Amino acid sequence: MKMKPYLCILILCLLFPALSQGAESPVGSIKTLEGDVLVLRGGQSIPASIGMPVFQGDIIQTPASGSAGIIFRDDSIISLGPESKLSIMEYVFEPKDEKFSMLMKMIKGTFVYISGAIGKLSPDSIKLETPSSIIAVRGTKMLIEVKG
Amino acid sequence: MIQRCFIVISLISLLAGCASHRTTVVLVPDPQGHVGKVAVQTQGGEQLLSESGQAVIVKNEKDAPAPATKFGDEKIRSMFGKALDAEPPVPEKFVLYFKIDSTELLPDSAMLITKIIGSIRQRKSFDISVNGHSDRSGEDAYNLDLSLKRAAYIKELIVKEGIDERYITTDSHGEGNPVVPTPDGVSEPLNRRVEVIVR
Repeated sequence: MKMKPYLCILILCLLFPALSQGAESPVGSIKTLEGDVLVLRGGQSIPASIGMPVFQGDIIQTPASGSAGIIFRDDSIISLGPESKLSIMEYVFEPKDEKFSMLMKMIKGTFVYISGAIGKLSPDSIKLETPSSIIAVRGTKMLIEVKG
Repeated sequence: MIQRCFIVISLISLLAGCASHRTTVVLVPDPQGHVGKVAVQTQGGEQLLSESGQAVIVKNEKDAPAPATKFGDEKIRSMFGKALDAEPPVPEKFVLYFKIDSTELLPDSAMLITKIIGSIRQRKSFDISVNGHSDRSGEDAYNLDLSLKRAAYIKELIVKEGIDERYITTDSHGEGNPVVPTPDGVSEPLNRRVEVIVR
């Protein structure tokens, strides 16, 4: 079957939406894990493992008595306690173009957040959202609980 | 009967869910012992936290946050113990310095390679960043290229010691992530560096 290259690419992009977002590279990785933690990605739920890369758009979900810890590219850290749900809405760390963005949604549960290089270089680019508030960070460590 | 109970319970939690989504934010010292600042905002207002253990409770998105209170260690532990235990160790950072306009390491920095390999092995890390940085003397494009070459050279040294190259990502931050901020055109040896971050 002969097909023009751009058509192939178009079809690939339709089949795998992640591909169409350019060179989608990991924004961090899972470093600690307890219990059956799930990563919700493109309509699928994937069992998490240590070292697993995470991407923009992922939702991390911990079970009762489970937990997970993530280190992002700028060395910021977010860990999740039991029955917690974190959505990585947007994450950009491109110091050479001075592009920074970290938009996280803490949907429910308990969290530890430690700021990284983005907190130093561009603190205004960090936004942590909960269903009832927006948290603006000035380079620090904090604990967040969201009751559903 | 069991089914009816279930419905009642989920209705209650649904109502509770609509009504509140209570958020609690507690400021604590970071791994270096530094206490930063955090502003918690709702449609109704903002509450600033700036002291260790200071906490704010937000009942809903409309009303202003409650005034800040203080949480003791015991309370913090009981609320956040599991999340705190899941906190990964802070990544280890090594900074390597180079001769001017060269990919050759300064002698002290060359000795750090052994330590880097030790850290990678000890942490069983498969997430290692090798980032080149430059100062602001010379052309942007030239600096970007030079710091990328420096990063590639360091990666080569690490791979030579038996670390799988798939675990290593190299990048150039060019002039965009300095240790010592300077105006453009300034030569600053502390900014001419490669940072190796072992996660």
